[in-house]
Amino acid sequence: MAKFHPSIDLLTEYAAGNLPLAQSACVAAHLNYCESCQRTAVQLQEAGSALFGALDPVPVGDSVLDSVLARLDEDAPLSYAQAPEADQTEVGRTPAILQRLMKGDFSELVWRKVTESLRISYLKTGDPGYEFALYHIKAGGKIPDHDHRGSEMTLVLQGGFSDANGSYHEGDFIYRAANDTHAPTALQSEDCICLAVLDAPLKFTNWKYRWMNPFLQLRAG
Amino acid sequence: MHIVENQGGGSGWQAPTGRRTDEWSECLTLIAANEDRAAFTRLFRHFAPLIKAFALSGSSLSAAHADELVQEVMLKVWQKAAAFNPEKAAASTWVYTIARNCRTDMFRRLQKFDTPLAAEDFTPEQEGEEPFAVLQSRRSGDRIRDLMDQLPSDQAQILAKVYMEGKSHAEAAGELDLPLGTVKSRVRLAIQKLQVHMEKQ
Repeated sequence: MAKFHPSIDLLTEYAAGNLPLAQSACVAAHLNYCESCQRTAVQLQEAGSALFGALDPVPVGDSVLDSVLARLDEDAPLSYAQAPEADQTEVGRTPAILQRLMKGDFSELVWRKVTESLRISYLKTGDPGYEFALYHIKAGGKIPDHDHRGSEMTLVLQGGFSDANGSYHEGDFIYRAANDTHAPTALQSEDCICLAVLDAPLKFTNWKYRWMNPFLQLRAG
Repeated sequence: MHIVENQGGGSGWQAPTGRRTDEWSECLTLIAANEDRAAFTRLFRHFAPLIKAFALSGSSLSAAHADELVQEVMLKVWQKAAAFNPEKAAASTWVYTIARNCRTDMFRRLQKFDTPLAAEDFTPEQEGEEPFAVLQSRRSGDRIRDLMDQLPSDQAQILAKVYMEGKSHAEAAGELDLPLGTVKSRVRLAIQKLQVHMEKQ
């Protein structure tokens, strides 16, 4: 069971449908690991439903009803019939929304080497404001000290990592505001794969890696 | 079926309560079983004006887009009626969820997002739920909708901004001329009063 969760503020914005696409996908992926947050999200949706029912209705012309009635016989889009369950066992517990974006398993992705122990694979979500990437950190490997020029959401998908604030395992969700320096280290026992959603590029603070900063551009979209 | 005459979106309209939702569940069941157009028309007359109000909240969409949204949502209601489970959720919650997803998709389309994801992909599948859990979820939904009426107006106002107008907490703070911290704490207080299940943070 996950021990670190999105705040109630984030879950409210998620349930209202207001989070940016990339961040919303990260929260949705956490819900795959966490029944407790799933329950919260369903209940938060009921709050939306109550507000919806209490809106002042705005009259809709009969012509709108007529055109809907005329369209009822159109076939339902076929995409509803697709059952992604066949993939489920193959790729293990990877959340469905990530499977949609990955189109395969971790080994089929294009991984770019950043340091000896860190590889990054960028996924395309279509959200122009956020980078959506998978980080593969070798067992015991360390990501150099860095801070965030913007916010960062992280979700552990496999293995785990630790930093000065704690140690995180599969399903754990961490949100960091801008200018928060940390140096995550993967657990010794196995490689760590996590999802990171950023709205500004990382900035290495360790002098050995600072030269890389100009090359760390946000790969949003 | 009762009172169809005065649901035309005019003066006879009343906010749906836990008691009245049964009528709409029944309509959805009739659509799923018999492709019942009369039931669909009743649903349309009730929900279309709410969907249009939802589309126009926060003046985010034009009137033409609002009518387009009404059509999209009601078509989905027709197509997906068989997936509605009255034991799990109220009909109004089910329709609201479709409306919320369609509105989000429409925003993204208008902003020309090139994305492989639709808003409905962001709701995780809840498979194999036990009857007891389903019943509890239904009950907590009814409770939350009842408690909403008792919220102090400043809290209800902020929730309406977030849910209906689609504003982030920061945008709501700007519009109401309140510090972000105040908005966040009002949202939290409101959520607590609604007795929403919360993980300790």
